[in-house]
Amino acid sequence: MAQVELRDVVKKFGSTQVVHGTNLTIEDNEFIVLVGPSGCGKSTILRMIAGLESVSGGEIRIADKPINEVDPVDRNVAMVFQNYALYPHMTVFDNMAFSLKMAGDSKQEILRKVNEAAEILELSPYLNRKPAELSGGQRQRVAMGRAIVRQPSVFLFDEPLSNLDAQLRTQMRMELKKLHLKMKTTTIYVTHDQVEAMTLADKIVILKDGFIQQVGSPVEVFERPANRFVAGFIGNPPINMLPGVFHREGESSSVTMGALTLPVPEARNLQDNQRVLVGIRPDAIKAGDSVTRFPKEWRFTVDVVVAEILGGQSLLEFTAGKNTMIAELEGRILARQGESMELGFDLNRLLFFDPETELALY
Amino acid sequence: MPGPVMPDQAIGTSMRNKDRISAFLTLLPSIILIGIFVYGFIGNTFWISLSDWGGAAALAENPVKSYVGFANYLDLFTGFLGGGFRQDLVNAVFYSVMLLAGAIGIGLILAMLLDNKPRGESFFRTVFLYPMSLSFIVTGTIWRWMLAPQGGVNILPTYVGLPPLRFPWLSSTDAILLFNWQNLLPIALYLVSLVLIIWGLWRLKNNPAKALVLLIPGVVVGGSVWLWGDLLPQALFMEEIHGFNTATFGIIMATIWQYSGYTMALYLAGFTGISQDLRDAAMLDGASTAKYYRYIALPMVKPITISAIIILSHISLKMFDLIFAMTGPDNGQTGHPALNMYLTTFRANDFARGAAIAIILFIIAATFIIPYMISSYRQRRSR
Repeated sequence: MAQVELRDVVKKFGSTQVVHGTNLTIEDNEFIVLVGPSGCGKSTILRMIAGLESVSGGEIRIADKPINEVDPVDRNVAMVFQNYALYPHMTVFDNMAFSLKMAGDSKQEILRKVNEAAEILELSPYLNRKPAELSGGQRQRVAMGRAIVRQPSVFLFDEPLSNLDAQLRTQMRMELKKLHLKMKTTTIYVTHDQVEAMTLADKIVILKDGFIQQVGSPVEVFERPANRFVAGFIGNPPINMLPGVFHREGESSSVTMGALTLPVPEARNLQDNQRVLVGIRPDAIKAGDSVTRFPKEWRFTVDVVVAEILGGQSLLEFTAGKNTMIAELEGRILARQGESMELGFDLNRLLFFDPETELALY
Repeated sequence: MPGPVMPDQAIGTSMRNKDRISAFLTLLPSIILIGIFVYGFIGNTFWISLSDWGGAAALAENPVKSYVGFANYLDLFTGFLGGGFRQDLVNAVFYSVMLLAGAIGIGLILAMLLDNKPRGESFFRTVFLYPMSLSFIVTGTIWRWMLAPQGGVNILPTYVGLPPLRFPWLSSTDAILLFNWQNLLPIALYLVSLVLIIWGLWRLKNNPAKALVLLIPGVVVGGSVWLWGDLLPQALFMEEIHGFNTATFGIIMATIWQYSGYTMALYLAGFTGISQDLRDAAMLDGASTAKYYRYIALPMVKPITISAIIILSHISLKMFDLIFAMTGPDNGQTGHPALNMYLTTFRANDFARGAAIAIILFIIAATFIIPYMISSYRQRRSR
């Protein structure tokens, strides 16, 4: 149980700086997810916390103690690697017992701790097998077991689910969440998969090019992204982002994107004729019965480009006033290209970004 | 479950048969050649070793070869004139053991040092591997110079103001670890008992039941030999002292020098093949560098250790040219069965006895290599 704190942390590889003065506080028991495209520095940050990379500048503190110069083993952190990094010549038991053996625990103690962890992870029948004789999901669980037995104060996960197939990944994701609820250990989880980030995290940290873009709860980063990058990175299908011009006439205001003009219901701190980028989440667009819940001026007739049915939901690509957008709609939408259709836009959820700075305008 | 043969299955079978036939035909020439020139000649050598081909008329146009059974072998091991061969065999054993320990030990240490990516790693890798590229004749010549009584290694201490060494590296006539060939059987049994006891003690911590299975026979064998060893048959009718000839030490050094770079390259390849994640995981698990090698890296490169043992032991068994270059074929102190075979066959024209030595070397090498081949074949099949 421990708080982890990063103060102005910098990482350089030779002359290339990859992490630029990161400040981040991870509260005790918190499940935090570092997410970003490859090369954003998320794994480097994790490896610095683990002690596998040196810190080029700034300070990392665990439980309020600086640990820059502390050996990895003495930081009391446990890490789960993307490819599990199981010792191939050891049985599952020995893999899980290795750290305890290195720490000089007694035989009974090792037996007790490993069996306990195996119980939690349902690995008891496999303790005498070698990693090669296990399935991907089982190996993943052994890797977690190896982390659990040490009872660390911080868990570090480096893309632990990315080697699993889609179905197993969903299942393991839930197990991970349950495990965290049970163990209540501070967890830092690195992924490039925004779905994993949204579902697992108490708090998401979005990184790009070694800079933190935003820190917030999953809902926060989804509904109130700090900038255009976050808005585009979080959410699947991605947000519709269109250039437009903001207009203000007395009390009412609107935004025009090509031939489409949308009324803006909330008072925004924008100037008349200000150029903006307009973000509309695909799930903020509705069709069918739910359209009637919107006021009349929030409804528009659009031309269907293509409709894809994903089981219970549909993705609809359409044009409205020469703007192409995607909507994520409930139910199965059967529509052909060129057909007209009435859609409702939840205009309370419109997002505005500055086209130059790309920062969100609220 | 064997069901009715489907048409496409039948096609599959006939295709497979065709494949087999063409594979067999392709391999046939080499099978015939290997059959004649390797296995046929081994067979012929074995037959000669059972004959009495040799002596005055050995080079006659149609030499008389009569079957004498295992008389040549018996002579080599227990005969009055076999003493030279027996010392050569003892030399070969010491030579193999020390070469294995030295080359694997030094190669391993070098590999571990280079595995940690010191500055100039690739330079040192080339430097250490370089001796491998020399022929044994060259290595032998270089080391003969270096080990000359009044030069090379012996004058090294003078560079720091110390008196020069006086050790006659290649011409020493001293021997240590002496034993009487008459007592070969009790000594062999003592060795067996010692191995069992050490192995048993080593297992005692983890698996006491298995340790007892090793310890009890070990103590029984050792104790029995101690008490009733006099009753065992003697290997020879007279006393014959053998031991480790210190003159072979220079030859062993030269071979270690030549081969430790090779074992280093083998181990380094193995170590580099271990993923960095595994090393990171071990580090987080609290393993120091030493413990990482002890518990993770070395067990993972065990197949490499086994290969190195096989390769080096059969090299040491066949060693000929290095010794020839360093001390010549006639230095009894540094003799080796392979040299002895050459001298016996082509100098003494005792073809039958030379063949017997060849077969003995062949059997010793086979005891190393066959288990290795079986185990690697099994591994491949289970994969």
